[in-house]
Amino acid sequence: MECKIEVNNKMIPAREGESLLEALREHGFKIPTLCHMNRFSPTGACRLCVVEVEGMKDLVTSCSYPVKDGMKVKTNSQRVIKARKSLVELLLSNHPDDCLYCQRNGHCELQWLAGEMNVKERKYFAGKLTDNPDYSSTSVARDPAKCVLCSRCVRICEEVQRVTAIDFISRGNETKVNSAFRKGLNVSSCIQCGQCIQVCPTAALLDISHLEKVQAALGNHKKQVMFVISPSAIASVTELMGFKAKDKVLERLTAALKRLGAGKVFNMGTAADIHVMEEAGQLAEMLKNKDKEHQPLMSSCCPSWVRYVSVFRPKVLPHLASVKSPGHIAGSLLKTDYAREHGIAGENIYTVSITPCVAKKYEASWEKNTHQGVSEVDAVLTVRELFRLLRSFGLNLAQMEEEAPDSPYQQSSAAAYKLGYSGGKAEAVARELFRIMKGNSKEKFRFLQPKSMAGKRETQVTIGKKQVGFAWVSSIAEAEDYLDALREEGRDDIHYIEVMACLGGCAGGGGQPISRGFDKPKARKKLCGDMEKTATWQSASENTVAADFFARIPFRGNKLWEQANK
Amino acid sequence: MESDLEHIFTHFPNGKREDLIPILQVIQDEKGFLSEETIDAVGKYLRISTNKIYGVATFYDNFRFGPVGRYHFRLCQGTACHVAGASTLQKELEKLLKVHAGETDKSGLFSLEVASCLGACGLAPLVEVNDEFYTNITLESLKELVRMIREKENETL
Repeated sequence: MECKIEVNNKMIPAREGESLLEALREHGFKIPTLCHMNRFSPTGACRLCVVEVEGMKDLVTSCSYPVKDGMKVKTNSQRVIKARKSLVELLLSNHPDDCLYCQRNGHCELQWLAGEMNVKERKYFAGKLTDNPDYSSTSVARDPAKCVLCSRCVRICEEVQRVTAIDFISRGNETKVNSAFRKGLNVSSCIQCGQCIQVCPTAALLDISHLEKVQAALGNHKKQVMFVISPSAIASVTELMGFKAKDKVLERLTAALKRLGAGKVFNMGTAADIHVMEEAGQLAEMLKNKDKEHQPLMSSCCPSWVRYVSVFRPKVLPHLASVKSPGHIAGSLLKTDYAREHGIAGENIYTVSITPCVAKKYEASWEKNTHQGVSEVDAVLTVRELFRLLRSFGLNLAQMEEEAPDSPYQQSSAAAYKLGYSGGKAEAVARELFRIMKGNSKEKFRFLQPKSMAGKRETQVTIGKKQVGFAWVSSIAEAEDYLDALREEGRDDIHYIEVMACLGGCAGGGGQPISRGFDKPKARKKLCGDMEKTATWQSASENTVAADFFARIPFRGNKLWEQANK
Repeated sequence: MESDLEHIFTHFPNGKREDLIPILQVIQDEKGFLSEETIDAVGKYLRISTNKIYGVATFYDNFRFGPVGRYHFRLCQGTACHVAGASTLQKELEKLLKVHAGETDKSGLFSLEVASCLGACGLAPLVEVNDEFYTNITLESLKELVRMIREKENETL
């Protein structure tokens, strides 16, 4: 119900029952928070959002206090400011204070808060936290000494991913966020999605850095370093730098990477097109054979989803498509096909994927992706690491000239950009399936994308007399609920499910630049959509390089593919 | 490992989240402590993440994650005992038993646990050894108690 409340002597409209924090933020009042997360239930743990409400003896946490008609609120009274400052000072009392050496220097919410609260000295002295960091995992690192126990990572791991790889251990001032039995993340149930890194306000959660590896390879004259940039990483860079889709960010990146010593720079788009063609082919086969055992086919390009299924839901394994992810298609193509054609020894090629994903670091370590101990993808840089690399070389993309990526993996179809967000891949696969099943008939391809990101997540595509059902989910919780619902209702009209472990798909990936709030995935999705329009081709198979690849290496059933995918 | 907990699980046929702590208590009563394997098995039965269970169990002082000694000392550190000098007693006891609080010695003879309050404040300070209370203890009586236990152990050897 609409009502009015008085804030700092100003009347503002609000809705009765909504949280006070929501109402205040909606009207531009700045309220600091550490534990608050949009779309999550409030915990009132950090207490930074305290405000003064007339008639209440104590300060109240605005995140968990409902709006009442006519209430009078003060957000900036001396009492409030003093309380907030003390809270930050207390949080800093056992902090290691090594900002200069910290990866999150400049991107740290605790640092910002200390600045905003005008903290000038260490007021409370407690023993600095000295917990050992955990670098055991292939993609996610933890540094508990930097942890402020805000519980964001714990909640996202439990509520969004249903994994609970990390949780609060022990009690009181002994409380620590840790994995089961205080063992490393490498032996936990962690699916390496990196959503915890995205929400962490400090540097308590980080990615396992491949930067040093890449820099060493760049300095090694025997190695030819080949960067492969994924379309979703391009969207991410575009968004962060404030570019537009037409600003040729890939070309700028190519020029920049060449300057820092890259041998070759490729567009992962072609590999993405090959991936889509192969997956659509498998789907076509499933439909042709009326294969109920494998229905619905599920996408397998998300390593976190694959990990989740193999640990928590092994029964779903047969449903996963057996296609390598775009990054590894690119990696194996470069080390075999490309190397042969250009007379380079495969072992002298050093492949680096640039993606908005931390789980790709984990995927690169899978046994099936390595040959005699050497991975198809030698290093994976997240978009965050890419920016650190560019910065350490003093390269500014805004002033960079444009240079076309190297042939043959230069361009991509619109499909490749669609892989960057939830729902996009399903559409790309549907379009490709349409082409496989209908050839060049005049029938028009229609795929209804919902307008909002929270909209309905399935659609039916008409192909001739056939109805093919496509669905897409992002986050494990959504995937689990959707699969449960399908089973309970006994539905068999869904043939393909696109699953991405991160919220909003790769647009909300764990390797994306750190940002507060959930609006960034939406912006990146929109950019992907804009870039689709600039793409040379509409559907994956129109990509001449990808099509040529399939002409040389026969479609599915090819033994090499099978081997590679097993 | 799962099978030897089956008889415990049968008492909790619905296998709900709220059964977690009672199940853990029964397991600890029977086995003396919660091992990683048992926590795994409980997780499978209740469909709760292993780490969630570990988090819950570490929240409570009463759950143990390693075996206790043949003589399990619980020293009370409640307010009354604390005022009566339990901290000094703890230091002395750690010296006598050659274990730190929360540990079990290598031979498996002694283990020491610090309890919040054992509920006998009128008799403070006190220590409990294998469910038996020793009250109004002093440094001397503590030494005597440990000496007697060691003597008894040597006799049985």
